[in-house]
Amino acid sequence: MTRRRFAPLLPMAAVLICAPAPATGQSDFEGIWTSASVVPLERPAHLKGKEFYTKEEAAENAKRVLGMTSWERLGSQAPEHYNMSQYGLDLSQVKVAATLRTSLIVGPDGRVPPLTPEAQKRSAERAARNRGHQFDGPENRPLQERCIIYSTEGPPMQPSAYNSNLQIVQGTGYVAIVQEMIHSTRIIPTDGRPHLPPDICQWLGDSRGHWEGHTLVVDTTNFTDKAPFRGSTASLHLVERFTRVDDDTIIYEFTADDLATWTRPWTAQVTLARIDGPLFEFACHEGNLGIANTLKGARAAEKQ
Amino acid sequence: MLPVSCTRGAFAGVLFAAGISLAQPAIYKAPRTADGKPDLNGIWQALNTANWDIRGHAAAPGPLFQLGATGAIPPGLGVVEGDDIPYLPEAAAKQKENSANRLALDPEVKCYLPGVPRATYMPYPFQIVQSDKHILISYEYASAVRIVNMEAPKKAPIDSWMGWSNGHWDGETLVIDVTGLNDQTWFDRAGNFHSDALHVTERYTARSPDTLTYEALIEDPKVFSRPWKMSMILYRHLEPHAQLLEFKCVEFVEELMYGPLRKKPGK
Repeated sequence: MTRRRFAPLLPMAAVLICAPAPATGQSDFEGIWTSASVVPLERPAHLKGKEFYTKEEAAENAKRVLGMTSWERLGSQAPEHYNMSQYGLDLSQVKVAATLRTSLIVGPDGRVPPLTPEAQKRSAERAARNRGHQFDGPENRPLQERCIIYSTEGPPMQPSAYNSNLQIVQGTGYVAIVQEMIHSTRIIPTDGRPHLPPDICQWLGDSRGHWEGHTLVVDTTNFTDKAPFRGSTASLHLVERFTRVDDDTIIYEFTADDLATWTRPWTAQVTLARIDGPLFEFACHEGNLGIANTLKGARAAEKQ
Repeated sequence: MLPVSCTRGAFAGVLFAAGISLAQPAIYKAPRTADGKPDLNGIWQALNTANWDIRGHAAAPGPLFQLGATGAIPPGLGVVEGDDIPYLPEAAAKQKENSANRLALDPEVKCYLPGVPRATYMPYPFQIVQSDKHILISYEYASAVRIVNMEAPKKAPIDSWMGWSNGHWDGETLVIDVTGLNDQTWFDRAGNFHSDALHVTERYTARSPDTLTYEALIEDPKVFSRPWKMSMILYRHLEPHAQLLEFKCVEFVEELMYGPLRKKPGK
Protein backbone atom coordinates (compact mmCIF):
# COMPACT_ATOMS: atom_id res chain seq x y z
CA MET A 1 0.00 0.00 0.00
CA THR A 2 2.92 2.29 -0.50
CA ARG A 3 1.57 3.87 -3.64
CA ARG A 4 2.55 7.26 -2.36
CA ARG A 5 5.98 7.20 -3.81
CA PHE A 6 7.73 10.15 -5.24
CA ALA A 7 9.48 8.98 -8.34
CA PRO A 8 12.43 11.02 -9.48
CA LEU A 9 11.39 12.33 -12.85
CA LEU A 10 14.40 11.29 -14.80
CA PRO A 11 13.88 11.56 -18.51
CA MET A 12 13.90 8.09 -19.93
CA ALA A 13 16.24 7.06 -22.68
CA ALA A 14 14.27 6.20 -25.78
CA VAL A 15 16.40 3.10 -26.36
CA LEU A 16 14.40 -0.10 -26.02
CA ILE A 17 16.15 -2.87 -24.15
CA CYS A 18 15.08 -6.48 -24.10
CA ALA A 19 12.83 -7.25 -21.16
CA PRO A 20 13.58 -10.39 -19.16
CA ALA A 21 11.61 -13.26 -20.65
CA PRO A 22 9.92 -15.97 -18.58
CA ALA A 23 10.18 -19.63 -19.57
CA THR A 24 7.50 -19.15 -22.23
CA GLY A 25 9.85 -16.88 -24.15
CA GLN A 26 7.37 -14.04 -23.88
CA SER A 27 8.05 -10.71 -22.23
CA ASP A 28 7.03 -10.50 -18.61
CA PHE A 29 4.46 -7.77 -17.97
CA GLU A 30 3.37 -9.13 -14.60
CA GLY A 31 2.94 -6.63 -11.85
CA ILE A 32 0.97 -3.62 -10.77
CA TRP A 33 1.28 -0.54 -12.93
CA THR A 34 0.06 3.02 -13.08
CA SER A 35 -0.70 5.03 -16.19
CA ALA A 36 -0.62 8.31 -14.24
CA SER A 37 0.84 11.02 -16.43
CA VAL A 38 1.90 14.66 -16.26
CA VAL A 39 1.25 14.96 -19.99
CA PRO A 40 -2.18 15.63 -21.55
CA LEU A 41 -3.62 13.47 -24.32
CA GLU A 42 -3.61 16.37 -26.77
CA ARG A 43 -0.72 18.78 -27.20
CA PRO A 44 -1.34 22.27 -25.81
CA ALA A 45 -1.55 24.97 -28.49
CA HIS A 46 1.60 26.75 -27.32
CA LEU A 47 3.64 23.57 -27.96
CA LYS A 48 2.43 23.19 -31.53
CA GLY A 49 5.02 21.38 -33.64
CA LYS A 50 7.11 20.38 -30.60
CA GLU A 51 6.67 16.67 -29.85
CA PHE A 52 9.37 16.33 -27.17
CA TYR A 53 10.59 18.43 -24.28
CA THR A 54 14.24 18.75 -23.45
CA LYS A 55 15.17 17.08 -20.15
CA GLU A 56 15.04 20.44 -18.39
CA GLU A 57 11.68 21.37 -19.89
CA ALA A 58 10.23 17.95 -18.97
CA ALA A 59 11.37 18.37 -15.36
CA GLU A 60 9.87 21.86 -15.26
CA ASN A 61 6.54 20.60 -16.69
CA ALA A 62 6.44 17.72 -14.20
CA LYS A 63 7.07 20.10 -11.31
CA ARG A 64 4.29 22.40 -12.49
CA VAL A 65 1.73 19.62 -13.01
CA LEU A 66 2.55 17.79 -9.78
CA GLY A 67 1.94 21.06 -7.94
CA MET A 68 -1.67 21.14 -9.13
CA THR A 69 -4.64 19.37 -7.57
CA SER A 70 -6.49 16.88 -9.76
CA TRP A 71 -9.28 19.37 -10.18
CA GLU A 72 -6.96 22.17 -11.17
CA ARG A 73 -5.45 19.83 -13.72
CA LEU A 74 -8.87 18.97 -15.09
CA GLY A 75 -9.99 22.58 -15.01
CA SER A 76 -13.10 21.64 -13.05
CA GLN A 77 -14.54 22.64 -9.73
CA ALA A 78 -13.49 20.52 -6.76
CA PRO A 79 -16.43 18.57 -5.35
CA GLU A 80 -16.53 19.11 -1.61
CA HIS A 81 -16.89 15.43 -0.72
CA TYR A 82 -13.45 14.48 -2.04
CA ASN A 83 -10.37 15.21 -0.02
CA MET A 84 -7.82 14.50 -2.72
CA SER A 85 -4.76 14.92 -0.56
CA GLN A 86 -6.05 12.75 2.27
CA TYR A 87 -6.72 9.80 -0.01
CA GLY A 88 -3.59 10.09 -2.08
CA LEU A 89 -5.50 11.11 -5.18
CA ASP A 90 -3.36 14.04 -6.26
CA LEU A 91 -0.65 13.26 -8.78
CA SER A 92 2.04 14.51 -6.41
CA GLN A 93 1.25 11.52 -4.17
CA VAL A 94 1.58 8.77 -6.76
CA LYS A 95 4.37 7.48 -8.91
CA VAL A 96 4.46 9.04 -12.36
CA ALA A 97 6.60 7.70 -15.16
CA ALA A 98 9.07 10.08 -16.68
CA THR A 99 8.65 11.06 -20.31
CA LEU A 100 9.89 13.67 -22.71
CA ARG A 101 6.61 13.70 -24.62
CA THR A 102 4.59 16.92 -24.74
CA SER A 103 1.35 15.04 -25.47
CA LEU A 104 0.32 11.39 -25.30
CA ILE A 105 -0.72 11.60 -28.95
CA VAL A 106 2.32 11.01 -31.11
CA GLY A 107 3.31 12.77 -34.32
CA PRO A 108 3.85 16.36 -35.35
CA ASP A 109 0.25 17.42 -34.72
CA GLY A 110 -0.33 15.81 -31.32
CA ARG A 111 -4.09 16.23 -31.57
CA VAL A 112 -7.06 13.92 -32.16
CA PRO A 113 -7.77 14.21 -35.89
CA PRO A 114 -10.86 16.17 -36.96
CA LEU A 115 -14.21 14.38 -36.73
CA THR A 116 -15.73 13.38 -40.03
CA PRO A 117 -18.92 15.31 -40.99
CA GLU A 118 -20.88 12.15 -40.16
CA ALA A 119 -19.33 12.00 -36.68
CA GLN A 120 -19.98 15.70 -36.07
CA LYS A 121 -23.64 15.15 -36.93
CA ARG A 122 -23.83 12.11 -34.67
CA SER A 123 -22.21 13.95 -31.80
CA ALA A 124 -24.54 16.97 -32.21
CA GLU A 125 -27.59 14.70 -32.31
CA ARG A 126 -26.48 12.88 -29.18
CA ALA A 127 -25.98 16.17 -27.34
CA ALA A 128 -29.36 17.46 -28.55
CA ARG A 129 -31.13 14.31 -27.40
CA ASN A 130 -29.76 14.62 -23.89
CA ARG A 131 -30.11 18.42 -23.58
CA GLY A 132 -32.66 19.18 -20.89
CA HIS A 133 -32.94 15.47 -20.05
CA GLN A 134 -29.68 14.98 -18.14
CA PHE A 135 -31.53 14.03 -14.96
CA ASP A 136 -34.54 12.15 -16.39
CA GLY A 137 -33.35 8.63 -15.56
CA PRO A 138 -30.25 6.53 -14.96
CA GLU A 139 -29.59 6.04 -18.68
CA ASN A 140 -29.16 9.81 -19.05
CA ARG A 141 -26.23 9.79 -16.65
CA PRO A 142 -22.62 9.11 -17.65
CA LEU A 143 -21.56 5.44 -17.74
CA GLN A 144 -19.06 5.87 -14.92
CA GLU A 145 -21.64 7.52 -12.68
CA ARG A 146 -23.82 4.46 -13.32
CA CYS A 147 -20.86 2.21 -12.37
CA ILE A 148 -20.94 0.40 -15.72
CA ILE A 149 -17.52 1.29 -17.11
CA TYR A 150 -15.07 4.06 -16.31
CA SER A 151 -14.30 6.45 -19.14
CA THR A 152 -10.54 5.90 -19.02
CA GLU A 153 -10.38 2.16 -18.24
CA GLY A 154 -10.38 1.37 -21.92
CA PRO A 155 -9.44 -0.19 -24.10
CA PRO A 156 -7.75 2.10 -24.93
CA MET A 157 -6.39 2.58 -21.42
CA GLN A 158 -5.74 6.20 -20.56
CA PRO A 159 -4.49 8.02 -17.49
CA SER A 160 -7.37 8.92 -15.21
CA ALA A 161 -7.70 11.93 -12.94
CA TYR A 162 -6.77 9.57 -10.11
CA ASN A 163 -6.44 5.83 -9.38
CA SER A 164 -4.85 4.94 -12.72
CA ASN A 165 -3.89 1.51 -11.40
CA LEU A 166 -3.90 -1.83 -13.18
CA GLN A 167 -2.46 -5.30 -12.69
CA ILE A 168 -1.26 -7.72 -15.35
CA VAL A 169 -1.21 -11.50 -14.86
CA GLN A 170 0.07 -13.87 -17.60
CA GLY A 171 -1.17 -17.45 -17.71
CA THR A 172 -0.68 -20.08 -20.38
CA GLY A 173 -2.09 -18.60 -23.59
CA TYR A 174 -3.59 -15.54 -21.92
CA VAL A 175 -2.67 -12.07 -20.69
CA ALA A 176 -5.13 -10.63 -18.16
CA ILE A 177 -5.40 -6.93 -17.35
CA VAL A 178 -7.29 -5.97 -14.21
CA GLN A 179 -8.36 -2.34 -13.93
CA GLU A 180 -8.84 -1.16 -10.36
CA MET A 181 -11.34 1.55 -11.28
CA ILE A 182 -14.25 0.73 -11.47
CA HIS A 183 -13.19 -2.91 -11.68
CA SER A 184 -12.96 -4.90 -14.86
CA THR A 185 -10.79 -7.70 -16.15
CA ARG A 186 -9.82 -8.06 -19.77
CA ILE A 187 -8.54 -11.55 -20.55
CA ILE A 188 -6.67 -11.53 -23.84
CA PRO A 189 -6.11 -14.88 -25.60
CA THR A 190 -2.77 -15.09 -27.40
CA ASP A 191 -3.44 -18.39 -29.19
CA GLY A 192 -4.34 -16.96 -32.57
CA ARG A 193 -8.08 -17.58 -32.34
CA PRO A 194 -10.45 -15.40 -34.40
CA HIS A 195 -12.51 -12.53 -32.97
CA LEU A 196 -16.04 -13.09 -31.69
CA PRO A 197 -18.79 -13.01 -34.32
CA PRO A 198 -19.82 -9.43 -35.11
CA ASP A 199 -23.19 -9.71 -33.38
CA ILE A 200 -21.57 -10.07 -29.95
CA CYS A 201 -20.68 -6.54 -28.85
CA GLN A 202 -19.14 -5.75 -25.50
CA TRP A 203 -18.37 -2.66 -23.43
CA LEU A 204 -14.66 -3.54 -23.51
CA GLY A 205 -14.79 -5.01 -27.00
CA ASP A 206 -13.11 -8.32 -27.81
CA SER A 207 -9.32 -8.50 -27.60
CA ARG A 208 -6.88 -10.88 -29.30
CA GLY A 209 -3.15 -10.76 -28.67
CA HIS A 210 -0.02 -11.93 -30.42
CA TRP A 211 3.70 -11.45 -29.93
CA GLU A 212 5.94 -9.47 -32.23
CA GLY A 213 9.33 -10.14 -30.71
CA HIS A 214 9.14 -8.83 -27.18
CA THR A 215 6.09 -6.70 -27.90
CA LEU A 216 2.56 -7.83 -27.09
CA VAL A 217 0.20 -6.61 -29.80
CA VAL A 218 -3.51 -6.59 -28.95
CA ASP A 219 -6.22 -6.19 -31.57
CA THR A 220 -9.67 -5.18 -30.30
CA THR A 221 -12.98 -5.06 -32.17
CA ASN A 222 -16.64 -5.88 -31.30
CA PHE A 223 -17.20 -2.64 -29.41
CA THR A 224 -20.69 -1.53 -28.47
CA ASP A 225 -22.09 1.74 -29.80
CA LYS A 226 -23.23 2.58 -26.28
CA ALA A 227 -19.78 3.62 -25.09
CA PRO A 228 -18.29 5.94 -27.68
CA PHE A 229 -14.57 6.64 -27.23
CA ARG A 230 -14.23 10.31 -28.13
CA GLY A 231 -17.21 9.97 -30.45
CA SER A 232 -16.32 6.59 -31.98
CA THR A 233 -18.80 4.01 -33.26
CA ALA A 234 -19.07 0.26 -32.78
CA SER A 235 -16.75 -0.12 -35.78
CA LEU A 236 -13.81 1.21 -33.76
CA HIS A 237 -10.71 -0.89 -34.38
CA LEU A 238 -8.02 -0.61 -31.77
CA VAL A 239 -4.44 -1.89 -31.84
CA GLU A 240 -2.42 -1.74 -28.63
CA ARG A 241 1.28 -2.44 -28.25
CA PHE A 242 2.92 -3.26 -24.91
CA THR A 243 6.73 -3.14 -24.70
CA ARG A 244 8.79 -3.53 -21.54
CA VAL A 245 11.69 -1.10 -21.69
CA ASP A 246 13.17 -1.73 -18.24
CA ASP A 247 12.24 -3.50 -15.01
CA ASP A 248 9.79 -0.83 -13.98
CA THR A 249 8.50 0.60 -17.24
CA ILE A 250 6.14 -0.45 -20.02
CA ILE A 251 5.60 1.66 -23.11
CA TYR A 252 1.91 1.27 -23.97
CA GLU A 253 0.85 2.55 -27.36
CA PHE A 254 -2.58 2.48 -28.93
CA THR A 255 -3.81 3.27 -32.43
CA ALA A 256 -7.49 4.07 -32.82
CA ASP A 257 -9.06 3.66 -36.24
CA ASP A 258 -12.69 4.37 -37.07
CA LEU A 259 -13.34 5.85 -40.51
CA ALA A 260 -16.89 6.71 -39.43
CA THR A 261 -15.43 9.00 -36.78
CA TRP A 262 -11.96 10.35 -37.62
CA THR A 263 -10.43 11.43 -40.87
CA ARG A 264 -7.39 9.24 -40.15
CA PRO A 265 -6.15 6.73 -37.54
CA TRP A 266 -4.27 8.24 -34.60
CA THR A 267 -1.78 6.94 -32.08
CA ALA A 268 -1.01 7.77 -28.46
CA GLN A 269 1.71 6.52 -26.17
CA VAL A 270 1.41 6.14 -22.40
CA THR A 271 4.29 5.20 -20.12
CA LEU A 272 3.28 2.72 -17.42
CA ALA A 273 5.31 2.74 -14.20
CA ARG A 274 5.53 -0.17 -11.79
CA ILE A 275 3.98 0.51 -8.38
CA ASP A 276 3.58 -1.43 -5.17
CA GLY A 277 0.27 -3.11 -4.54
CA PRO A 278 -2.14 -4.34 -3.82
CA LEU A 279 -5.00 -3.27 -6.04
CA PHE A 280 -8.07 -2.63 -3.95
CA GLU A 281 -11.59 -3.78 -4.71
CA PHE A 282 -13.61 -1.02 -6.36
CA ALA A 283 -17.19 -2.07 -5.62
CA CYS A 284 -18.71 0.92 -7.38
CA HIS A 285 -22.32 -0.08 -7.95
CA GLU A 286 -22.71 -1.59 -4.47
CA GLY A 287 -22.15 1.79 -2.84
CA ASN A 288 -23.69 3.95 -5.53
CA LEU A 289 -25.82 6.38 -3.53
CA GLY A 290 -24.85 9.11 -5.97
CA ILE A 291 -27.07 8.06 -8.84
CA ALA A 292 -30.16 7.66 -6.64
CA ASN A 293 -29.50 10.96 -4.89
CA THR A 294 -28.94 12.78 -8.18
CA LEU A 295 -32.32 11.57 -9.49
CA LYS A 296 -34.05 12.28 -6.16
CA GLY A 297 -32.62 15.78 -6.21
CA ALA A 298 -33.91 16.36 -9.73
CA ARG A 299 -37.42 15.14 -8.78
CA ALA A 300 -37.41 17.37 -5.68
CA ALA A 301 -36.32 20.35 -7.78
CA GLU A 302 -39.20 19.74 -10.22
CA LYS A 303 -41.71 20.10 -7.40
CA GLN A 304 -40.42 23.51 -6.39
CA MET B 1 -7.22 -49.78 1.42
CA LEU B 2 -4.30 -49.33 -0.90
CA PRO B 3 -1.12 -47.66 0.25
CA VAL B 4 -1.07 -44.01 -0.79
CA SER B 5 1.94 -44.51 -3.03
CA CYS B 6 -0.12 -46.86 -5.23
CA THR B 7 -2.72 -44.20 -5.83
CA ARG B 8 -0.35 -41.70 -7.45
CA GLY B 9 0.39 -41.13 -11.08
CA ALA B 10 -0.59 -43.19 -14.05
CA PHE B 11 -1.27 -46.28 -12.00
CA ALA B 12 -4.30 -44.58 -10.46
CA GLY B 13 -5.93 -44.39 -13.88
CA VAL B 14 -5.54 -48.13 -14.26
CA LEU B 15 -7.21 -48.72 -10.93
CA PHE B 16 -10.17 -46.56 -11.89
CA ALA B 17 -10.43 -48.16 -15.30
CA ALA B 18 -10.62 -51.52 -13.58
CA GLY B 19 -13.52 -50.22 -11.57
CA ILE B 20 -11.81 -50.51 -8.22
CA SER B 21 -13.60 -48.35 -5.74
CA LEU B 22 -11.46 -46.40 -3.29
CA ALA B 23 -12.68 -44.77 -0.12
CA GLN B 24 -10.55 -41.80 -1.07
CA PRO B 25 -10.13 -40.88 -4.73
CA ALA B 26 -6.75 -41.66 -6.18
CA ILE B 27 -4.47 -38.66 -6.39
CA TYR B 28 -4.44 -37.39 -9.94
CA LYS B 29 -1.30 -35.52 -10.84
CA ALA B 30 -2.14 -32.48 -12.93
CA PRO B 31 0.10 -31.15 -15.71
CA ARG B 32 2.64 -28.66 -14.38
CA THR B 33 3.24 -24.98 -14.99
CA ALA B 34 6.77 -23.84 -15.81
CA ASP B 35 7.57 -23.59 -12.10
CA GLY B 36 6.35 -27.13 -11.36
CA LYS B 37 2.98 -26.33 -9.74
CA PRO B 38 -0.29 -28.04 -10.75
CA ASP B 39 -1.64 -26.14 -13.76
CA LEU B 40 -5.19 -24.98 -13.00
CA ASN B 41 -5.39 -22.53 -15.93
CA GLY B 42 -8.73 -22.80 -17.64
CA ILE B 43 -12.38 -21.80 -17.80
CA TRP B 44 -14.39 -23.64 -15.15
CA GLN B 45 -18.00 -23.88 -14.08
CA ALA B 46 -20.06 -25.74 -11.53
CA LEU B 47 -22.88 -27.88 -12.94
CA ASN B 48 -25.17 -27.87 -9.95
CA THR B 49 -28.04 -25.85 -8.47
CA ALA B 50 -26.19 -24.63 -5.37
CA ASN B 51 -26.79 -21.00 -6.34
CA TRP B 52 -30.52 -21.63 -5.85
CA ASP B 53 -29.99 -23.45 -2.56
CA ILE B 54 -26.77 -24.97 -1.27
CA ARG B 55 -28.83 -27.54 0.63
CA GLY B 56 -30.65 -30.38 -1.10
CA HIS B 57 -33.97 -29.16 -2.48
CA ALA B 58 -36.86 -30.30 -4.66
CA ALA B 59 -37.97 -28.27 -7.66
CA ALA B 60 -40.19 -25.34 -6.71
CA PRO B 61 -41.93 -22.38 -8.33
CA GLY B 62 -39.89 -19.19 -8.53
CA PRO B 63 -40.85 -15.92 -6.84
CA LEU B 64 -42.38 -14.41 -10.02
CA PHE B 65 -45.19 -16.46 -11.58
CA GLN B 66 -44.92 -14.38 -14.77
CA LEU B 67 -41.64 -16.13 -15.61
CA GLY B 68 -43.34 -19.53 -15.71
CA ALA B 69 -40.99 -22.48 -16.07
CA THR B 70 -38.08 -20.15 -16.94
CA GLY B 71 -38.19 -18.72 -13.43
CA ALA B 72 -38.73 -21.99 -11.57
CA ILE B 73 -36.19 -23.36 -9.12
CA PRO B 74 -34.38 -26.45 -10.46
CA PRO B 75 -33.90 -29.31 -7.98
CA GLY B 76 -30.55 -30.37 -6.59
CA LEU B 77 -28.88 -32.76 -4.20
CA GLY B 78 -27.10 -29.93 -2.41
CA VAL B 79 -23.39 -29.31 -1.84
CA VAL B 80 -23.27 -29.11 1.98
CA GLU B 81 -21.63 -32.08 3.63
CA GLY B 82 -24.27 -33.87 5.70
CA ASP B 83 -26.84 -31.44 4.22
CA ASP B 84 -26.84 -29.67 7.56
CA ILE B 85 -25.92 -26.02 8.08
CA PRO B 86 -25.32 -25.59 11.82
CA TYR B 87 -27.05 -22.23 12.30
CA LEU B 88 -27.23 -20.70 15.76
CA PRO B 89 -30.93 -20.37 16.71
CA GLU B 90 -31.30 -16.66 15.86
CA ALA B 91 -29.42 -17.13 12.62
CA ALA B 92 -31.71 -19.98 11.59
CA ALA B 93 -34.66 -17.62 11.96
CA LYS B 94 -32.90 -14.95 9.94
CA GLN B 95 -32.23 -17.39 7.12
CA LYS B 96 -35.96 -18.18 6.91
CA GLU B 97 -36.76 -14.48 6.83
CA ASN B 98 -34.13 -13.92 4.10
CA SER B 99 -35.62 -16.73 2.09
CA ALA B 100 -39.16 -15.36 2.39
CA ASN B 101 -37.95 -11.92 1.22
CA ARG B 102 -35.34 -13.03 -1.25
CA LEU B 103 -36.50 -10.86 -4.13
CA ALA B 104 -35.95 -7.77 -2.01
CA LEU B 105 -32.89 -8.94 -0.09
CA ASP B 106 -30.76 -11.24 -2.25
CA PRO B 107 -27.71 -9.19 -3.31
CA GLU B 108 -27.62 -11.08 -6.63
CA VAL B 109 -30.94 -9.49 -7.61
CA LYS B 110 -29.20 -6.09 -7.49
CA CYS B 111 -26.12 -7.27 -9.40
CA TYR B 112 -23.94 -6.87 -6.33
CA LEU B 113 -20.60 -8.64 -6.12
CA PRO B 114 -21.25 -12.24 -5.02
CA GLY B 115 -18.55 -12.90 -2.41
CA VAL B 116 -16.81 -16.21 -1.78
CA PRO B 117 -17.66 -19.05 -2.14
CA ARG B 118 -20.90 -18.10 -3.97
CA ALA B 119 -18.99 -16.75 -6.98
CA THR B 120 -17.69 -20.28 -7.63
CA TYR B 121 -21.05 -21.97 -8.16
CA MET B 122 -23.15 -19.25 -9.74
CA PRO B 123 -24.47 -20.33 -13.15
CA TYR B 124 -21.67 -18.48 -14.97
CA PRO B 125 -18.14 -19.59 -15.90
CA PHE B 126 -14.99 -18.26 -14.30
CA GLN B 127 -11.41 -18.34 -15.48
CA ILE B 128 -8.22 -19.10 -13.59
CA VAL B 129 -5.18 -17.31 -14.98
CA GLN B 130 -2.17 -18.74 -13.23
CA SER B 131 1.41 -17.61 -13.50
CA ASP B 132 4.33 -18.55 -11.32
CA LYS B 133 3.74 -15.46 -9.19
CA HIS B 134 0.02 -14.80 -9.16
CA ILE B 135 -3.31 -16.51 -9.50
CA LEU B 136 -6.14 -14.47 -10.91
CA ILE B 137 -9.72 -15.70 -10.69
CA SER B 138 -11.99 -13.78 -13.02
CA TYR B 139 -15.73 -14.41 -12.85
CA GLU B 140 -18.11 -13.70 -15.71
CA TYR B 141 -20.82 -12.52 -13.30
CA ALA B 142 -20.55 -8.77 -12.64
CA SER B 143 -16.84 -8.68 -13.62
CA ALA B 144 -16.04 -9.98 -10.14
CA VAL B 145 -12.35 -10.71 -9.67
CA ARG B 146 -9.90 -11.98 -7.09
CA ILE B 147 -6.13 -11.75 -7.18
CA VAL B 148 -4.74 -14.46 -4.94
CA ASN B 149 -1.63 -13.49 -3.01
CA MET B 150 0.74 -16.48 -3.35
CA GLU B 151 3.57 -14.84 -1.42
CA ALA B 152 3.80 -14.59 2.37
CA PRO B 153 0.24 -14.37 3.75
CA LYS B 154 -0.93 -10.84 4.41
CA LYS B 155 -3.69 -9.59 6.65
CA ALA B 156 -6.76 -8.33 4.80
CA PRO B 157 -6.17 -4.59 4.44
CA ILE B 158 -9.90 -3.84 4.58
CA ASP B 159 -13.22 -5.71 4.36
CA SER B 160 -14.53 -6.12 0.84
CA TRP B 161 -17.17 -8.01 -1.16
CA MET B 162 -14.74 -10.55 -2.63
CA GLY B 163 -12.48 -10.66 0.43
CA TRP B 164 -8.75 -10.99 0.73
CA SER B 165 -7.20 -14.20 -0.64
CA ASN B 166 -3.94 -15.73 0.59
CA GLY B 167 -3.01 -18.85 -1.37
CA HIS B 168 -0.51 -21.67 -1.02
CA TRP B 169 0.05 -25.14 -2.46
CA ASP B 170 -0.60 -28.22 -0.37
CA GLY B 171 0.78 -30.88 -2.67
CA GLU B 172 -1.71 -31.19 -5.50
CA THR B 173 -4.13 -28.74 -3.92
CA LEU B 174 -4.38 -24.96 -4.21
CA VAL B 175 -5.49 -23.78 -0.78
CA ILE B 176 -6.92 -20.25 -0.54
CA ASP B 177 -7.56 -18.69 2.81
CA VAL B 178 -10.20 -15.99 2.44
CA THR B 179 -10.81 -13.35 5.11
CA GLY B 180 -11.84 -9.69 5.10
CA LEU B 181 -15.27 -10.56 3.69
CA ASN B 182 -18.08 -8.13 4.47
CA ASP B 183 -21.51 -9.22 5.74
CA GLN B 184 -23.40 -8.14 2.61
CA THR B 185 -23.23 -11.31 0.53
CA TRP B 186 -25.21 -14.55 0.72
CA PHE B 187 -24.37 -18.15 -0.06
CA ASP B 188 -27.35 -18.65 -2.37
CA ARG B 189 -30.80 -17.41 -3.43
CA ALA B 190 -32.35 -19.29 -0.49
CA GLY B 191 -31.10 -16.72 1.99
CA ASN B 192 -28.27 -18.74 3.51
CA PHE B 193 -25.98 -16.09 4.91
CA HIS B 194 -22.96 -15.25 7.05
CA SER B 195 -21.52 -12.37 9.05
CA ASP B 196 -18.36 -10.31 8.63
CA ALA B 197 -16.58 -12.90 10.77
CA LEU B 198 -16.69 -15.33 7.85
CA HIS B 199 -13.50 -17.24 7.17
CA VAL B 200 -13.49 -19.46 4.09
CA THR B 201 -10.79 -22.03 3.35
CA GLU B 202 -11.03 -23.13 -0.27
CA ARG B 203 -9.32 -26.17 -1.73
CA TYR B 204 -8.99 -26.61 -5.50
CA THR B 205 -7.68 -30.02 -6.56
CA ALA B 206 -7.42 -31.36 -10.11
CA ARG B 207 -9.13 -34.77 -10.16
CA SER B 208 -8.81 -35.40 -13.90
CA PRO B 209 -7.64 -33.31 -16.88
CA ASP B 210 -10.99 -31.53 -17.09
CA THR B 211 -12.45 -31.58 -13.58
CA LEU B 212 -11.53 -30.03 -10.25
CA THR B 213 -12.72 -30.89 -6.79
CA TYR B 214 -13.74 -27.73 -4.95
CA GLU B 215 -14.16 -27.61 -1.22
CA ALA B 216 -15.00 -24.64 0.97
CA LEU B 217 -14.68 -24.85 4.73
CA ILE B 218 -16.98 -22.26 6.32
CA GLU B 219 -16.19 -20.81 9.74
CA ASP B 220 -18.25 -18.00 11.24
CA PRO B 221 -18.83 -18.19 15.00
CA LYS B 222 -21.35 -15.32 14.90
CA VAL B 223 -23.71 -17.39 12.73
CA PHE B 224 -22.78 -21.09 12.98
CA SER B 225 -22.21 -23.36 15.98
CA ARG B 226 -19.36 -25.21 14.26
CA PRO B 227 -17.36 -25.15 11.03
CA TRP B 228 -19.03 -26.84 8.05
CA LYS B 229 -18.04 -27.69 4.54
CA MET B 230 -19.38 -27.63 1.02
CA SER B 231 -17.86 -29.60 -1.81
CA MET B 232 -18.57 -29.99 -5.51
CA ILE B 233 -16.98 -30.70 -8.84
CA LEU B 234 -16.00 -27.96 -11.29
CA TYR B 235 -15.93 -28.71 -15.01
CA ARG B 236 -13.63 -27.29 -17.64
CA HIS B 237 -15.19 -25.55 -20.66
CA LEU B 238 -13.92 -27.57 -23.61
CA GLU B 239 -15.71 -25.76 -26.42
CA PRO B 240 -13.28 -24.54 -29.09
CA HIS B 241 -12.40 -20.90 -28.37
CA ALA B 242 -14.36 -20.87 -25.09
CA GLN B 243 -14.02 -17.48 -23.46
CA LEU B 244 -15.64 -15.44 -20.73
CA LEU B 245 -18.05 -12.89 -22.12
CA GLU B 246 -19.22 -9.72 -20.41
CA PHE B 247 -22.01 -9.93 -17.90
CA LYS B 248 -21.97 -6.38 -16.61
CA CYS B 249 -25.42 -6.59 -15.07
CA VAL B 250 -25.66 -3.10 -13.55
CA GLU B 251 -27.63 -1.76 -16.48
CA PHE B 252 -30.09 -4.66 -16.16
CA VAL B 253 -31.04 -3.64 -12.61
CA GLU B 254 -31.34 0.12 -13.07
CA GLU B 255 -35.09 0.05 -13.69
CA LEU B 256 -35.53 -2.10 -10.58
CA MET B 257 -33.35 0.10 -8.40
CA TYR B 258 -33.89 3.58 -9.83
CA GLY B 259 -37.11 3.27 -11.87
CA PRO B 260 -39.26 4.97 -9.21
CA LEU B 261 -36.89 7.97 -9.32
CA ARG B 262 -37.32 8.41 -13.06
CA LYS B 263 -38.90 11.63 -14.35
CA LYS B 264 -42.64 11.12 -14.89
CA PRO B 265 -43.97 11.99 -18.35
CA GLY B 266 -45.44 15.47 -18.56
CA LYS B 267 -43.57 16.84 -15.55
